[in-house]
Amino acid sequence: MAHFELICPAGTPAALRAAVDAGADAVYCGFRDATNARNFPGLNFSVREMAEGIAYAHGRGRKLFIAINTYPTAGNPGPWHQAVDQAASLGADAVILADYGLLDYAARRHPRLKLHLSVQASAANADAVTLYRDVFGVRRVVLPRVLTVPDIARLTAETGVETEVFVFGGLCPMAEGRCSLSSYATGQSPNRQGVCSPASHVRYEPRGTTLVSRLGDFTINRFEDGEPAGYPTLCKGRFVARGQASYLFEEPTSLNAIALLPELKAAGVRALKIEGRQRGKAYIAAVVGAYRQALDSFDRTGRAEVPQLAPTLADVIEGRRDTTGAYTRGWR
Amino acid sequence: MLIQSHDEAAGPSRSGRPLETAVAALALRLARVAGPRLGNPVLDRLSQVFARRHPRAAEALAELPAATVLVDPTDLPSGLLLRLGPGGLRLRLCDAAATTADAMVRGRFGALLDLAEGRIDGDALFFRRDLTIAGDTALVVALRNALDGEDIDLLAEIDAAAGPIGRFGPKARQHAAQTAARVAETLSGLRSALLRPEARRLDALERRVARVESRVESREP
Repeated sequence: MAHFELICPAGTPAALRAAVDAGADAVYCGFRDATNARNFPGLNFSVREMAEGIAYAHGRGRKLFIAINTYPTAGNPGPWHQAVDQAASLGADAVILADYGLLDYAARRHPRLKLHLSVQASAANADAVTLYRDVFGVRRVVLPRVLTVPDIARLTAETGVETEVFVFGGLCPMAEGRCSLSSYATGQSPNRQGVCSPASHVRYEPRGTTLVSRLGDFTINRFEDGEPAGYPTLCKGRFVARGQASYLFEEPTSLNAIALLPELKAAGVRALKIEGRQRGKAYIAAVVGAYRQALDSFDRTGRAEVPQLAPTLADVIEGRRDTTGAYTRGWR
Repeated sequence: MLIQSHDEAAGPSRSGRPLETAVAALALRLARVAGPRLGNPVLDRLSQVFARRHPRAAEALAELPAATVLVDPTDLPSGLLLRLGPGGLRLRLCDAAATTADAMVRGRFGALLDLAEGRIDGDALFFRRDLTIAGDTALVVALRNALDGEDIDLLAEIDAAAGPIGRFGPKARQHAAQTAARVAETLSGLRSALLRPEARRLDALERRVARVESRVESREP
């Protein structure tokens, strides 16, 4: 059986080099505009930087995927078409798309360009994945982080499409590509503008020794002295309901499926994805290096070597706690 | 607008490069002692060298609207005020407690140094409350991303800004590091020598306890 392919994030050229040097099989990046779902200030690649990044990856036998995974504005598909054209002309190994219209454009205009379905398409069942496969020739689907391992195994077997699953990083518990929480609070969303909880709407406020995080007009959380902090997203907010403050959707915690490598392999998963294009190159190097080590060890022994990796990873994750998320959890 | 740091004595944010951190801290202290007439031209020179060596970051910072970021090392007497925007990057020493800015970044100097060089992840520092940010979050994110996209070595920047004298910087630091390692090795040897009699006594005690245990076990039914 083929080895897992390790797919790693990069928000800057330095992060790309860090990912490749740490052992990524492929790196995914975006152009510096609203065509990708990590359109953060100062992040992402110009066309020239993308060309240099592709040369760096290819020169070391690795791949580069370009995420063009926001939904084009109605009546203005130009920037998204241009991004697909540039990805094709630069020699990207695949483009990661979510929108039907853009998939159609890419399939017709660049029939040799490999198409991956972004997690933003939220294709979470065999019927949806089969449709993308048959109509647009999608070769790989990045699955939403809401499926159990048995769900993934069934979907992979039924569709014959390569499956890529998130194994580490920020945990989005919502229906990705459909979530409007950020839009509700700020008017901007990852689906349209490429930003979830944009930094322009985030404020941190002092309340004695307590740290209060706010998003737009909403208080998201209140961290007591010494309590690990988390991102100011509504889905990980701590709210008062029935007189009690609690995390209603998800706690500030990070996905880490390193212990599930045998199960994911048995489920037929082809590629493992690390989240975090917005993170620094030190994070990229630490996480990619740890996962490279784990995958190499898994290839040799068939076991997931978790304990020796845990301290490295625990130091960089949100809330300083990890979870296997929906992979091992049923609906409640 | 400023947020108070939670635990300024927190260990994890301490830099893993104490010598480099000490040298950079010394440079900052010297610039403060020298005063603005002598210190400002040095900082301007440093900004120019940074722009020449890292055009991508310099361009990104120049594209931002005019704004200021206060960098406040909690373990040093001086802060650093960064002016960003169309005029390019400009650095000035300041009294952090008396300075207002559009955004603020606060933490131990070693952690801030590592952050500027991309040796440590800013989000990770934030999660464990070793880094405090306040004010315009987008500005801080843009600054972080611009710096993190480069391979920056602040001491190499200082060497480059120092011109011909800077050529001696790496050698001097290498020499200092070797000296520090030798001193540490000597101290370690000295410590072992001082503790050796105590270690012998402990070994003897352990052997006696083991013998007693063995006798007790042999008498049990």
